[in-house]
Amino acid sequence: MITVSQLLKTVPTADGDLDILRGIDLEIAAGTSAAIVGASGSGKSTLLGLLAGMDVATAGEIWLDGERLSDLDENQRARLRADKVGFVFQSFQLLPALTARENVMLPLELAGVTNAGQIAERYLCDVGLESRLEHYPTTLSGGEQQRVAIARAFARQPRILFADEPTGNLDTRTGERVIELLFELNDRADTTLVLVTHDERLAQRCDKRFSMTAGELQSL
Amino acid sequence: MSLTPTTGTASSSGSLSWRLLAREWRSGELGILLAALVLAVSVVVGVSSFVDRLQSALLSESARFLAADMVVVSRTPIPEEWIDQAEQMTLQTSLGVGFPSMAVADVDHMALVSVKAVSAGYPLRGELLWSDEAYGDILRDGAIPEQGEVWLAPRLFALLGLTTGDTLMVGEASLTVTGAVRGEPDATTAVFGFGPRLLMNTLDIPSTGVVQPGSRVGYRLLLSGNRDRVSEYEAWVSPLLGQGQRLDSVEGSQPRIGDTLDRARGFLLLAGSLAVVLAAAAITLASRRFGERHTQYVAILKSLGAQSHDISRLYATSLGLMGAAGTAMGCLLGWILQEAFIRLLGSLLPVTPGAAGVEPVLIGAVTAMVCILFFAWPPLRRLGEASPLRVLRADIGMHEAQRPQDFLFGGLSIIGLMWWYSGSVAVTLAVVSGLAVVMGLGFLAARGLLSGGRRVGGFAGSIWRVALAGLQRRGRANALQMVIFAMAIMLMLLLSVVRSSLIGQWQAQLPADAPNHFLLNLAPEERPVLEQFFTQRGVAAETLYPMTRGRIFSVNAETLPEWEEAEGEDAPRQREANFTWSDELPTGNMLVAGDWWEPEDTTSWVSLEEDFAAGIGASVGDRLSMRIGADTFDAEVRSIRKVDWQSMRPNFFVVFPRAVLERYPGMYMTSFRLLPTQKPLLNELVRELPTVTVIELDIVIKEMRSVVDQVARALELVLAVILVAGSLVLISGVRSSLDARLKESALMRALGARQRLVLGTLWIEFLVLGGLAGALASVGAEVAAWGLQTRVFDMNWAPTVTIWWLGPTVGAVIVGALGVWSCRRVVRVPPIQLLREV
Ligand SMILES: Nc1ncnc2c1ncn2[C@@H]1O[C@H](COP(=O)(O)OP(=O)(O)O)[C@@H](O)[C@H]1O
Ligand SMILES: [Mg+2]
Repeated sequence: MITVSQLLKTVPTADGDLDILRGIDLEIAAGTSAAIVGASGSGKSTLLGLLAGMDVATAGEIWLDGERLSDLDENQRARLRADKVGFVFQSFQLLPALTARENVMLPLELAGVTNAGQIAERYLCDVGLESRLEHYPTTLSGGEQQRVAIARAFARQPRILFADEPTGNLDTRTGERVIELLFELNDRADTTLVLVTHDERLAQRCDKRFSMTAGELQSL
Repeated sequence: MSLTPTTGTASSSGSLSWRLLAREWRSGELGILLAALVLAVSVVVGVSSFVDRLQSALLSESARFLAADMVVVSRTPIPEEWIDQAEQMTLQTSLGVGFPSMAVADVDHMALVSVKAVSAGYPLRGELLWSDEAYGDILRDGAIPEQGEVWLAPRLFALLGLTTGDTLMVGEASLTVTGAVRGEPDATTAVFGFGPRLLMNTLDIPSTGVVQPGSRVGYRLLLSGNRDRVSEYEAWVSPLLGQGQRLDSVEGSQPRIGDTLDRARGFLLLAGSLAVVLAAAAITLASRRFGERHTQYVAILKSLGAQSHDISRLYATSLGLMGAAGTAMGCLLGWILQEAFIRLLGSLLPVTPGAAGVEPVLIGAVTAMVCILFFAWPPLRRLGEASPLRVLRADIGMHEAQRPQDFLFGGLSIIGLMWWYSGSVAVTLAVVSGLAVVMGLGFLAARGLLSGGRRVGGFAGSIWRVALAGLQRRGRANALQMVIFAMAIMLMLLLSVVRSSLIGQWQAQLPADAPNHFLLNLAPEERPVLEQFFTQRGVAAETLYPMTRGRIFSVNAETLPEWEEAEGEDAPRQREANFTWSDELPTGNMLVAGDWWEPEDTTSWVSLEEDFAAGIGASVGDRLSMRIGADTFDAEVRSIRKVDWQSMRPNFFVVFPRAVLERYPGMYMTSFRLLPTQKPLLNELVRELPTVTVIELDIVIKEMRSVVDQVARALELVLAVILVAGSLVLISGVRSSLDARLKESALMRALGARQRLVLGTLWIEFLVLGGLAGALASVGAEVAAWGLQTRVFDMNWAPTVTIWWLGPTVGAVIVGALGVWSCRRVVRVPPIQLLREV
């Protein structure tokens, strides 16, 4: 499902080139879950961005659901994301101008789904926000916002879901509830899940675990 | 429950744009951009149609000096069908006939007079002033002499020994004197013509028997009515004009008031084109803010799989829809604005404004299009290129929203608009060079600020350090903001400087204690009589100018055609004029070619007024032959002068060195000042000195005052509109950096900074920004004012000291106050709420 070989990412900075990722190899089978743990600044988000086709690697290859990302141009990668990839971010990334329901509808609408409203409502019910459909993000708590984000990620029924420290901005209790939700929906939809986290207990629940240290990835 | 997504057709992405647009609208983000657009369009439409209407009002104001909107002037009787055609085109008409003749009271009393016969309806524009007796109370009741009646110039009463009710002969007709002519709207240069005025009715012309073929008669067909009809008639009649026929229209009449109106029009057009620039600035700022606020939005959309072209289409559609709505709303609002203006000020403006045309709306629409394309679109187009990685790393910046070529094209299109709008290369160039100076210095200053600020901040107090660090952090944004502030302030300064110098100049031309009467034709032996008359009655007289009537009949030994023989109205021909001598260049005159003679020079030189020189086709170095009485002599043109006709001083077309003219017998002229209560003295004066001519300038001066007052009021109004538009630009400028500032200030407060520090920092930041912008604005305004005053308004330029302190002060105070006021939430609202919002 996800195959990465010899992935390098180097960015130019004021004091010379900075190697963020130094030769990453990775294999994640369809329908399984993988956790990536590591210190802040070790390159986890950078890797996730590359996997989702939001950035291009300096060297190395990524295959996502049988497609080689380096063969695709930016628009095709966006198309791939729209069709197959869901995302949950540490800082939620809801659009402040849209209600909860509209935020969930957005990826569906971008993919041209016509009954987006109904689907969005169903997923918001699934995450327990049926009473918050027309609320704006600023009036929701952090946990509620993240639940909207999870509903948004699953509503498109993605093949792969990336989650970048989904509990990083939440307190422990709220974080646990969000995680439960994430795994529950993941099981139900049989999605391939790639999870970046600091949380050891969370990592334990995944099928595979990797550790990132200064741009190098090790299987645990 | 099972819900499977159903995929729609391609058209659904179009409707997605609509839905997103509708949601955006709710968020209020688009509203800001829309407001800027509506503001821009409405100011442009409002100012330009206001200007349009005022201009047509001013035009009809100046029609008073032609007594009509247009006049057909002919040396042969006006064909019947020309009059019929005019009446068919629903124009008002009135016929006039003018010729020199002898007015005879009795064998001892006769005088050469300049007869003007008028018919019902005269004057079609302006007023005919008259009185029952020579210098009696002025009447303006719209009357003209009836059949069988004449009105005389006041001095004719003394000259002919007549009073009201007496009769006199013009040719074979015996006519009764029923009044005195005190002011004709279309008197123009007749005062220096063949003699004092005698006004009669055209119905009496046949009975006089003086108008014969070959006699020196001028016919005038006065026309007035709807502007379009007048233009139509002009187009119809122009090809039919033959030799000795011409059209006079408002633009060419009465140079004195014409200049005033020209300058006013120049000013109004300038104001309109400044509105265009301000509009562009407001839109740029709003659009940048919109773009900045949407970078994150786009990153999220992209992470959800939106493609660049989806994004571009979304914003293009949004902008297109908004542009259409904004243009329509702006046009409507602009129209309401000017209508309200006119209604509100209708009572202040005695002239009736014309109808607003379509051109302002066209200008508004084109302005909107240019603004959208070159100023609003670039920051939004760039959104398509925003990296989706921003959702993972918030610190990923956008490249500069506007590329140099965007500014280039935008700038060029604005210059084009200004040019189209003002119709003047000089106006455009003057303003553009001022703006260019502001931009150039602005970016230099921004650079200096960026490198020097930290050093200063290093040893200054902590408020200063934070403030200057803030200025530096947002260096690029601040530079742009500062330049836009500076431009807005510059345009406001420029307009007020030009306005006050125009008004100042007009007022200087009409000083309250200036002489308001001219006295001509004073014989040398009458000098003591006049001096005694004046001293006895306490009237202050000015210098006496020598004056000799002469005729220039050839240039470089080539004889000029006489009046009747001249090819066209403008062809060189012989001219008669009042000659004078002078040791120095007369005050208020300016040499445009050649130089002035030494006072003792005995060479036969002559100096000519510009237009007069053109009228006889002479230039410096040419030899002129002239006749004074029976004597002829030659003189070489030494210089050409420009004469300020707006001044109330005696002006002369032809000036000689003292030695040349002194030997010819001449008359004298002078000017003096009479208070309204002293008016009856004129009766005594003409009785004592029956051959002198008195010209009552006080009536003209009063008229001019009222025109100047109105024009000045109009200028003030337009200035006010521009000031409002400029302030709105300043406000949107401050708003454009609000988010970043709010966030930083909230952070500072969250970190425990006291209110005083936060507020102090904001004050310093905005004061520095505003002060710098104001200083730049002063430089730019001075440059543009120089260009306008020397190249457009024909005035003398002097540095305006006021703007050098006014600019920085106004800039600092306004920007500072606006900035702190906009950010007042920072200290009012709990920081946590702010941090959550932005
Ligand atoms: N475009 C970039 N330019 C410069 N440095 C970058 C860029 N992207 C990432 N980095 C640096 O690479 C390192 C890894 O970043 P990131 O992947 O966000 O770490 P993590 O998600 O593991 O905390 C960090 O030190 C970050 O500052
Ligand atoms: Mg990270």
